Amino acid sequence: MTTDLSTVIRPIDSANGLPNAHYTDPEVFAEEREGVIFDQWAGLAVAADVPEAGDAKPVELLGVPLLLIRDKGGQVRVFHNICRHRGMILVSEPRKIEGAIRCPYHSWCYSTQGRLVATPHVGGPGMNTHEDIDKSDLGLVEVPSHIWRDVVFVNLNGNAAPFEDVHADLLQRWYEFDSPHHHGGADSRFQLDVKTNWKLAVENYCESYHLPWVHPGLNSYSRLEDHYHIEKPGQYSGQGTYVYRQLKADSGEVFPDFPGLSDKWNEGAEYVAVFPNVLLGAQRDHAFAIILEPRGLDETSEHIHLYYASEKTDDALRARNTAQWKEVFEEDVFVVEGMQKGRHAPGFDGGRFSPAMDGPTHLFHAWVAEKLHDRREKLAAE
Amino acid sequence: MSDLDERLLAAHEADDRGALIALYIEAADTATSETAAGFYLTHAYVFALELNDGRQDALRTRLKAMGRV
Repeated sequence: MTTDLSTVIRPIDSANGLPNAHYTDPEVFAEEREGVIFDQWAGLAVAADVPEAGDAKPVELLGVPLLLIRDKGGQVRVFHNICRHRGMILVSEPRKIEGAIRCPYHSWCYSTQGRLVATPHVGGPGMNTHEDIDKSDLGLVEVPSHIWRDVVFVNLNGNAAPFEDVHADLLQRWYEFDSPHHHGGADSRFQLDVKTNWKLAVENYCESYHLPWVHPGLNSYSRLEDHYHIEKPGQYSGQGTYVYRQLKADSGEVFPDFPGLSDKWNEGAEYVAVFPNVLLGAQRDHAFAIILEPRGLDETSEHIHLYYASEKTDDALRARNTAQWKEVFEEDVFVVEGMQKGRHAPGFDGGRFSPAMDGPTHLFHAWVAEKLHDRREKLAAE
Repeated sequence: MSDLDERLLAAHEADDRGALIALYIEAADTATSETAAGFYLTHAYVFALELNDGRQDALRTRLKAMGRV
C-alpha cells in the first residue's frame, strides 16, 4: 500500500495529518520501519544502561536484535546481537562480560570491541583454525551509533549523514548544556507501556496547545501564552516556556544548576522532539530523555530517564521530581491512546491543524512524509 | 566413568567455569592422544577467554605450539 502524502506536505493552513494507514496498516508500519526509523538516527537506549566497562545489555529495535555494550576501553558500542557463525543470539540478558563474549551454541568468542578471537574446533576436533575461516572478516556487525545527552542513537541502515551534521542546529541551540549529565539512578527511570503508535507520542509531546486541558496543574504558573513553538523544518520541533519553576524541598533546597548557563535559562526551558523517537527536556537544574520504543503498530514503550548536574543529589527531592514527571507523562496516556483508537474511524482525513498552535506537530508529520517520499523515490530509481 | 569425567560433569552442571578451566587442563595433561589433548585445551582456552582468566595466554601458547590456533 502506498499512501497519498500530498495533503500532509501542504502549508499548515490547508494541510491534513498523516493518513489513517500510518497508524493502522502493517504494510505502512513496515515502510516506516525502514524509512523513518532505520534510515535515520533513532534512539535505542541510554549509555547509563551500561555504566561500567564490560556491561552488556541486549536490546531490540523493531525486531532487530542488538547488543549495547561498553567495551573494555570504555566506549559504548552497538552490535548485531548474533554470532557470525549460525546467527545465534549471543547475549540474552543484561550481564557483565568478564573477558570475551562466548556464543552459547558453538562457543565462537568475540572481544568487547567485536573482534572474533576464537573459533573452537572450526577445523575439526581441537583444531581451532581453518584456511577458509578468516577471523578478521568475521567480527560482530557494528551499527553506527552516537551518544548525545546520554541517549544512544543508532542508524541501523548505516546510510545517514553523521549525527553532528544532521542535528547541527539543535546541538548549537543547546550548546550551553554541553556539561556532564548524571543519570539519577534507579529512582530516576521509569517505563510507561502505552497502547498507541509511537508517532502519536511525538505529536503530543511537541505542542503546547494541549497543556491547559490535559495538564491543568500547570495552569497556576505556566499558561499557554508563556510558551513558544520550536520549529526547524526537516529537523526537529517542540515547545519552550518562559516560566520554568524549579522544584524546591521544604527546606528551600533546589537541585544544582548545570554550569555556565546564561540568564535566559533562569526561567526558560525547552522540550524538543528529536525525530524520529527521542523526546528531550532541557532545564537549568535537570534534564530528561524519553526514548519511544515502537513495539508494534499500536504498542509503544516510553523509557524515561532523568539527569542532574551533579552525581549526588538529595534523595527525597529526586524522588519527588520523578513522581512529578511521572504524573505529567501519565496524564498524556489517555490522549495518545484515544488518538490511536480514533485512527480506526474510516474516512478520517488525518485531521486539520490549528495554523496558530499546531505548527510543531505539522512539522513532524511533514518530516515523516518527506522521509517516506525520499525512500519511495530511491526504491523507484533502483 | 572416571573421577575426572564426574568432576567435569559436576562443574558443567554448576556452570563453574573457573573449575572447568582447571579440569580441562587436567584432562589435556592426561590425554592419550594429541587430538584429545588439543580438544581439552581448546575448551580450557575458551572458558579462560570468557572469564578473562590469567591462564589464557599460557593455554594459547600451548595450542599455538601444537598448531591448533
